[in-house]
Amino acid sequence: MTEKFSRRDFLKLAGLGAATSAILTGCGPASRYVKREPYQQMPEYNYVGQNTYYATTCRECAAGCGLVVRTYQGRAIKTEGNANNPLNLGKTCARGQATLQGLYNPDRVQGPSTGDWDSAIQAVADALKNYKPNEIAFLMGMAPDHLFDLVSELASATGMNAPVRFGALGMFESRATLSKAAENLFGQAGLPWFDINGAEVVFSFGANFLETWLSPLPYTRGFVGLREGETKLRGAFVQFEARMSATGAKADHWVPVRPGTEGLVALAIGKLAAEARGGAMPRAFSSVNPADVAEQAGVELEALEELAAMFATRKVLAIPGGAALAQSNGLEVAEAVLALNALSDNFGQAGGVYLSGLAPMQTEYNRPASAQEMKSFVEKMKSGAFKVLFVHGVNPVFEVPASLGFKEALGSVEQVISFATFPDETAAEAKYVFPDHHGLESWGYQRVATGSDKPVLSGAQPVVSPYYDTRATADVLIAAAQLAGGKFAEALPFKDEVEFIETKVSALMAEADGSFSAADPVTFMAYFQQHGGWFKNVDARVSLDGSAVLNNNFKGSEAEFAGEGEFFFVPFVSPTMAEAGANKPWLQELADPTTTVMWNTWVEINPETAHELGLHDDDVVKVISEAGEVEAYVYLYPAIRPDTIAMPFGQGHTAYGRYAENRGANPADLLGAHFNEAGDITFGGMKVKVEKVKSAARGIGLSRLESTMGVYGDSLGEEH
Amino acid sequence: MIRPEEIKMSAEETGKWGMVINQDICTGCQACVAACAMENNVTFVGEEDSGYGRSMHWIRIERFWEGEYPEVKMTPNQPMLCQQCGSAPCEPVCPAFATVHSTAESLNLQVYNRCVGTRYCANNCPYQVRSFNWRDYERPEPLPNQFNPDVTVRRRGVMEKCTFCIQRIHKAQDKAKSEGREVADGEFTTACAQACPANAIVFGRVDNPQSLVSQLAHKGHGVKHLEELGTLPNVTYFKGG
Repeated sequence: MTEKFSRRDFLKLAGLGAATSAILTGCGPASRYVKREPYQQMPEYNYVGQNTYYATTCRECAAGCGLVVRTYQGRAIKTEGNANNPLNLGKTCARGQATLQGLYNPDRVQGPSTGDWDSAIQAVADALKNYKPNEIAFLMGMAPDHLFDLVSELASATGMNAPVRFGALGMFESRATLSKAAENLFGQAGLPWFDINGAEVVFSFGANFLETWLSPLPYTRGFVGLREGETKLRGAFVQFEARMSATGAKADHWVPVRPGTEGLVALAIGKLAAEARGGAMPRAFSSVNPADVAEQAGVELEALEELAAMFATRKVLAIPGGAALAQSNGLEVAEAVLALNALSDNFGQAGGVYLSGLAPMQTEYNRPASAQEMKSFVEKMKSGAFKVLFVHGVNPVFEVPASLGFKEALGSVEQVISFATFPDETAAEAKYVFPDHHGLESWGYQRVATGSDKPVLSGAQPVVSPYYDTRATADVLIAAAQLAGGKFAEALPFKDEVEFIETKVSALMAEADGSFSAADPVTFMAYFQQHGGWFKNVDARVSLDGSAVLNNNFKGSEAEFAGEGEFFFVPFVSPTMAEAGANKPWLQELADPTTTVMWNTWVEINPETAHELGLHDDDVVKVISEAGEVEAYVYLYPAIRPDTIAMPFGQGHTAYGRYAENRGANPADLLGAHFNEAGDITFGGMKVKVEKVKSAARGIGLSRLESTMGVYGDSLGEEH
Repeated sequence: MIRPEEIKMSAEETGKWGMVINQDICTGCQACVAACAMENNVTFVGEEDSGYGRSMHWIRIERFWEGEYPEVKMTPNQPMLCQQCGSAPCEPVCPAFATVHSTAESLNLQVYNRCVGTRYCANNCPYQVRSFNWRDYERPEPLPNQFNPDVTVRRRGVMEKCTFCIQRIHKAQDKAKSEGREVADGEFTTACAQACPANAIVFGRVDNPQSLVSQLAHKGHGVKHLEELGTLPNVTYFKGG
């Protein structure tokens, strides 16, 4: 890139009258030559320069939000949202803000474990060459897409196993269930797209769309539209879930249904609403008896009737998500809730349900592996079918539930090569660690899977030069393929990663309705960097044909639970840290939106239940499931069913740097290997026991932003 | 004690920079808190010190519980930050004139190199939005690379609080001045407002009736917190719901 398209070329281009923005510079490589000095050690006679802003893509999750990073003397200072990106329109979440604490994290992997990159590339080349192609496997995260494309091309040309993608966020979103439900109901797999913005009323069955679900920024925007829409009354919001999430906390009505009954509740509401409207009763609702459902779900029948009355008279958008789908009957829950939308004639309508359109350079919906697919992946590792495993962009030892045995299976793989940026649990088990750059030092692109109505390709470019002796994994693979020769070299005939990206991106030049156009590839790439990506000015959402969904015969099946315990168990993704935020100290110090806890893991227990068990705030308890046990502090949570306990996912690392290590517990350790019909793990289908380990003591306990003075009769630091 | 005539004087100068926060659409996502920390070199203090209430958040999201299960409800998320009072209780108690009022901008300034750490101001702040550097908190290399060169790095013994991103205000004013114009509404905003995914925070000139923040502030259903204390806050809240 630097030779083909230098900063000088760019300036020439700008001089020729190309419409260059004054703010966003497209000359990424130039930043690699800037002398960088920490602010604290700035030389006395330093020339105080101007800020330079680079557009790139956030890599804290796979959503693909655009960032504009302020850099100053070669240092990245602040991230802001990219207003040009139709997904996030200039906004960021807390994780996007804290991405700099990943870049400047004191515990990054600073160089290849072999000492130098020549031997590292040799090791990768040997791994490619010395094994049969079908003995080589790639496990990748949900981002970045350019590397996934590169590996996919390598795999299909050489007969290697196609890369498998996994991410804990995808697992907790039950993406496989959503996609399968869409396929069953509408004949087309994909992620549903909910137009909350245009809805009158939203009924969410467990979907935590204001936290981490699918793409929280556009859904937050949709929520604002629901509440503040200029042309309509303030929209209502009802949330059905056993434990009040930060999303549920914003609801007008929070309905604490028993875990596993969400689908039944949806069908009962449908039946009552259809009765209220009169006419023929749709077949979908024939199997349920609302009075029975009310009892099973632990809610009043009158409450269901009131909600059904709302459904009968107003345009209601029903959203399935979260723990509701992670049940043995999760697929039916997803289908039942999606089918409810037929009552409001929501399919393909404003304020209704669509299917997310395909992103640029995409021919079919490509979902990450479900937990069940990960289980067969693990079995192949165990059986010795995989002799070489490359891991990039995911930390499976932490993210894949322990009961699937990923960590143990690593021992059966001859060569595990990790490309981790941080010293995570998987890197600790790997034979070699060949660190990739941090996202802000990287080239790349990411397809926006859902959230925007337009097809968006977010572009990434380095905003600072690499801090350490790291190397882009794509560059490592290209160099190793050249070294391995033969069909490997033929599969990746690129000079480097940037040339690969240019080849891909410039193919978009021919497309109509682009957000920008250019006559030649060099200019097109310059714009691509400058704008932080490219999108098509068309509505790509797929209208669904939902005319027949109410003819489905839903069994109204009950969820089955695994384990002997007395409590339902709701693990949820930490809204502030998600799966990979634990090593950023400021994400640790953000207060959890509902509990205000910082820096640790807690177990949410209803105060009444805690009273019966003799538990107080900050007592340490052991939570025991059929798959394992973890210890954590008690948090008396007023908004959870008395028969349910909940724990956040995100902590409990045994590696991953000083801020994450040996802190809190990982609730994924409690999940047994049970799957729903779509292959998602039934993380909401566990029954657990709680045992007290020790009482709260002065000076030990959860750090929280709120004060506990006078709450539930407790006072700070006092003996119970 | 503040005399009534002083309050009146302050009321006349109230204006300039102000903020409107819509609690109805705030999702409590903490993006503002993170953005503020990143912009303003706010340090993290670690688990133990944050357990003692020493965390340095310049802005925090408050929430309270109402009722009992199952009729329990969380009150609308309430982002709480320095209200930039027109008649600020923190100011008269500072023996070192470290917390002073800027009449020109109607902001409460915190002059770090005057602060001697009496903590009288934090004690007297009814909003509890001031945070004190109890230690020199460790930020191991290379974390300091992230420091914003426009914002002073504070050390032990110094009080700090939200400044309405005064460095951004000054930068925008300098730019406007060099171009011979006034700062336009929406030309820049504070770090919290810029990040807010819900646009729940709006910042701008409250003395300009055309500005978005003025129009929102005068919508009628806005409230100012602890107004009865005569603090004349510059932040207006919409409770919503």
